[in-house]
Amino acid sequence: MNASTLGKTIPQVNARSKVLGRARYAGDVKVAGMLHGKVLRSPYPHARIVRIDTSAALALPGVKAVLTGADAPRAMWGVHHKERRILAEGVVRFAGEEVAAVAATTEEIARDALDLILVEYEELPAILTPEEALDEEALGVHPGRNNVSHEIKFHLGDVDAGFAKADLVYEATYDCHAQYPGYLEPMATVATIDPDGRLQVWTSTQSIFQARMRLAAALEMPVSDIRVMQATTGGGFGGKMVEDANNLIAGLLAVKTGKPVRLVNNRLEDFLACCSSVPERVTLKLGMTKDGIIVAKDVRIIAECGAYSGLSAEVMHVTAMRSDNMHRLKNVRSHATLVYTNNPPHGAFRGFGGAQMQFALNSHIHMMAEKLGLDPVDVHKRNAHEAGETSVHGWKIGSTGLRECIDQCVEAIQWRARRAGKARGQGTRRRGVGMAAAMHVSGNRTIGNWDGSTVVVKINEDGRVVVHSGECDMGQGAMTMLAQVVAHELNIPLDHVHVSPPDTDVSPYAIGTLASRVTIAAGNAAILAGRKARQALFDVAAPKLEASAGELEIADGFIRVRSAPDRRVTLAEIAKLHIWRHDGEGIQVSATWDAKTVMHGNVHGNIAPAHSYAAQAVEVEVDTETGQVTVLDSYVSDDCGKAFNPLAVHGQSNGAAAQAMGWALYEQLQLENGRLANGNFADYTMPTADSIPLLRSGIVESNDPNGPYGAKGASETAILPGAPAIANAVYDAIGVRITDLPITPEKVLAGLRAQRQAQEQEQGGIRHA
Amino acid sequence: MRDFDLLEPASVAEASRMLADLGEDCRVMAGGTALMLAMRQRMLVPSHIVSVARIEALRGIRFDPVDGLRIGALARHTDVADSAVVKQHYPMLAAMAAQVANPQVRNQGTVGGNLCYADPSTDPPTCLMSLGARVVLGSVRGQRELSIEEFLVDYYVTAIEPDEIVVEIRVPAPPADFSGRYTRFLRTAAEHRPLIGLSLATRRSGGTCREAVLAVGASTPIPCRVPRAEHFLAGKTITPEVAAEAADIVAADIQPVSDARGSDEFRRDMVRVVARRTIAALYGLATD
Amino acid sequence: MSKHLIEVTVNGERHSVEVPARRMLSDFLRDDLNLTGTKRGCETGICGACSVLVDGEVVKSCLSLAVQADGRSITTVEGLAKGDELHPLQQSFMECGGLQCGYCTPGMLMTACHLLERNPRPTADEVREGLNGNLCRCTGYAQIVESILDASEKMRGN
Repeated sequence: MNASTLGKTIPQVNARSKVLGRARYAGDVKVAGMLHGKVLRSPYPHARIVRIDTSAALALPGVKAVLTGADAPRAMWGVHHKERRILAEGVVRFAGEEVAAVAATTEEIARDALDLILVEYEELPAILTPEEALDEEALGVHPGRNNVSHEIKFHLGDVDAGFAKADLVYEATYDCHAQYPGYLEPMATVATIDPDGRLQVWTSTQSIFQARMRLAAALEMPVSDIRVMQATTGGGFGGKMVEDANNLIAGLLAVKTGKPVRLVNNRLEDFLACCSSVPERVTLKLGMTKDGIIVAKDVRIIAECGAYSGLSAEVMHVTAMRSDNMHRLKNVRSHATLVYTNNPPHGAFRGFGGAQMQFALNSHIHMMAEKLGLDPVDVHKRNAHEAGETSVHGWKIGSTGLRECIDQCVEAIQWRARRAGKARGQGTRRRGVGMAAAMHVSGNRTIGNWDGSTVVVKINEDGRVVVHSGECDMGQGAMTMLAQVVAHELNIPLDHVHVSPPDTDVSPYAIGTLASRVTIAAGNAAILAGRKARQALFDVAAPKLEASAGELEIADGFIRVRSAPDRRVTLAEIAKLHIWRHDGEGIQVSATWDAKTVMHGNVHGNIAPAHSYAAQAVEVEVDTETGQVTVLDSYVSDDCGKAFNPLAVHGQSNGAAAQAMGWALYEQLQLENGRLANGNFADYTMPTADSIPLLRSGIVESNDPNGPYGAKGASETAILPGAPAIANAVYDAIGVRITDLPITPEKVLAGLRAQRQAQEQEQGGIRHA
Repeated sequence: MRDFDLLEPASVAEASRMLADLGEDCRVMAGGTALMLAMRQRMLVPSHIVSVARIEALRGIRFDPVDGLRIGALARHTDVADSAVVKQHYPMLAAMAAQVANPQVRNQGTVGGNLCYADPSTDPPTCLMSLGARVVLGSVRGQRELSIEEFLVDYYVTAIEPDEIVVEIRVPAPPADFSGRYTRFLRTAAEHRPLIGLSLATRRSGGTCREAVLAVGASTPIPCRVPRAEHFLAGKTITPEVAAEAADIVAADIQPVSDARGSDEFRRDMVRVVARRTIAALYGLATD
Repeated sequence: MSKHLIEVTVNGERHSVEVPARRMLSDFLRDDLNLTGTKRGCETGICGACSVLVDGEVVKSCLSLAVQADGRSITTVEGLAKGDELHPLQQSFMECGGLQCGYCTPGMLMTACHLLERNPRPTADEVREGLNGNLCRCTGYAQIVESILDASEKMRGN
């Protein structure tokens, strides 16, 4: 009997513990004698720290430590630019920067202590916009450098010749704002010193090895003196990868006090502690033939990283060039500039720079299609790469379901019928439809010339399995994926496979959950490990069953001779026999898979083993009196190569679509003189259940040759088409093109007013003619 | 939050004495939702909290055809929304209460607490104002009554004396020809607080409005009546043009606030739309 | 500064505990009673991850003092299952993908519990409205709504 669950709708393997309320998140961890940490943050966007007096705070009963920058190691941390202290010393560069940390016997006392820390600041002029930052006279946010954190420039083919030959050239500028990741579990860590003096950390993270590396660097400790364990993690979306300081500060407090310390953010703190996505101004110029073929693309980007650059350069890189790989494009020029300011830092967020460009590109394609009298659906499809082709940046497209995704979602929304116009109406409430399409990577070698993963499979003496992997599940389903693969390879029930929580002392080295890499990298490694484990079983079972390994199979809990199933032995027996014999050992196998990709040299090279695609179609209704946009219906089609668990893929597509709707319509971080004014859920309004429609989604399986059973990443691609699909639908409904996100009621009303005025002038003109 | 002493009086008199003794550094707590929020963020740091939750005299919802409705200060929004007598005699009040905030806050927050906190971005004060509600205040010195207009002084400020607590809210018995509607307008569907509350209470004869009381809130520091609009509507048969003109008056006469959730101009425009749609909807006209 | 002796029943078990005045109900449940299923998601009253039932009605425990629970009966997520037998809502959430990271899930379950108790046969729209005090960032809500509708059918004996 086939026990495999691949392709079936199943609950996540850790769902039961979660619905029972037993799943242990970092804030749920209790260690005897645990202290509670709190962080004091700068109220100023730019200031010199003149003096800090911690004496009153230290004197408060129950306070065990009050640390400032002077107590923290000298080492700077950061991603590419090591430019940040765990606790600021001498200067603060954004309102919200960590200045002091307290550990006390209760959280309330720690919070009380914050009020007793006296910090004397000398306010300094703050740079609050990219324009100010780029001004020649501007002071550097960081010493010894100007405010350009990173710059990208490339030119492939001949863009100007392309424009010269184009039938239509169109240029527009799009402004994309920062989005707060908004995971429901605020950052949390429990750090403790174990009896051997090692730092042991439970934390909410997307990568245990990245966290360990940062802790080691920031605390100036050997990596091997640190153990990081991933607690059940309540969402990450990029915010809990490498740019967060919560576990660094918890680690510092534990090291200094010698005691366990729990540091959990409340939401107000988390808004200041987490990097929001990178705001970017994208100026896009496209040249098309009259058939809608893109013949030239020119991109200019000004992106802002805020006070610290984090991963923003990588994010901007994606904006600058990733979308080029969707289309058969030969001529592309891109110039992107990343700028420091004294605003709270930006960094990685789901889509990793893709959403910003896809907003521009899909809005642009819609406008140009209209001017050419074409359906944007056809323009997308005509330009799309096919499997087997290589893109302008040297990406080898192994599989693509882009066309199928487009067809699937527009069919679901009755695209052609609705565009025919009769439903659109002239009344107060007007409806429109819009679509968009996008691509993303599944894996990315540019992280450091390795995009692999290692999976360890152990078969216990009862014939059941433990899987070790360092890749993290934050709810997207990585543990379930691993369990499904190993169970499939061994043909055992899913619940006979236990995936162990990631732990740097135990798990094989892993990069972590980013770049949608885990299914392809760890999934492939799990196949190899599963097969190795099977081979190990067969090598011992074969002589016992007096058959060759090739004649054996696993079924119904037995290893048996395929042609004579009565000759069989249980997995448990073989697992035991593997140990109890000469040169015995427990069955433990390790397998590594690395993508056959390359680092890119100068924006060229096949950096990802596969690429995922998504398209989305939406119908909106615009209330022309209130400016409100209601998304009536949305359908996301996701090409994930192969869906191991359709329920999980749909879930990820829906979650992504909801976040995109938030970015497009409901969420906006508001800064007042560099201070976040709405860092709370009442004022930063993420989508609620009744503010978005019942989302619909579909799956396309393009079966990638590099993917485990054909699977690719899913989850990030699905966030990319949302905002442009909505903007396109609003344009379809009311003829107002909004290029500056979010689409607010005021902007809709302003657009309608401008439209009316233009019409009145036109009519006036005609009358006078 | 900062530490404090909690006191739990069992009667209005006891509470009043406590409040008089404790002076300024003290807050009263009913359901506690708004107070806890402010205290957790250390926007309010009272040294003492006097909880009125044990005072039985503050409980209950009663109706009498002559005296009208009496809502105990401790009645929760859920209690008002689910109350048979409120649904029967003041359906617009029940409908408003059923939409306040979200389900959890409706199960915890009280009408008395809501009025005392005087947060502009809530629904009950505007609706109650339009129904002619009166707030009954109790202390050791006895009881007194204030209209909602007299009770609400400014945002987060009421006319309550330091040693008084709200005992109940009284709403006059509705006339037989009563017809009213409350609109809770959110800036976007994802918002948690109303941008505008517009409450229209009329006496009606078919399609004619004989008398109107119209209150606007949430976009103003405290809810306000719009007498010019009320006067304009009185005696008129409601047509789309009448609704639009009344709405223009409402928009012109209010003093909206201006903040991150909307400029005064934007709020004025939205009030105009909401007013017109509310009037039209109440009188069975197309709202678009 | 004041301390109060409270008698509270939690998931059917009676507790008599002295708590400081400023102890939040959420922290009382999580830290004093070690029932960490109830989550701290914002501590500013919006996200709903802290939702519990007090006398059968769903409230936000981060906006409630432990003292206010005196004499009341509280149900947290840990009180839904009967031993190993999951509550129909828990079963449906698992089967219909009503959770991913699981952090909003305890609060969602408690809200759903009360919602179905008040309205055993809700429409999808009524469920969506009934959840507007609970945020989720992972699921986009669709599978949560499906889970609750699925459970409502199970609970009505279909």
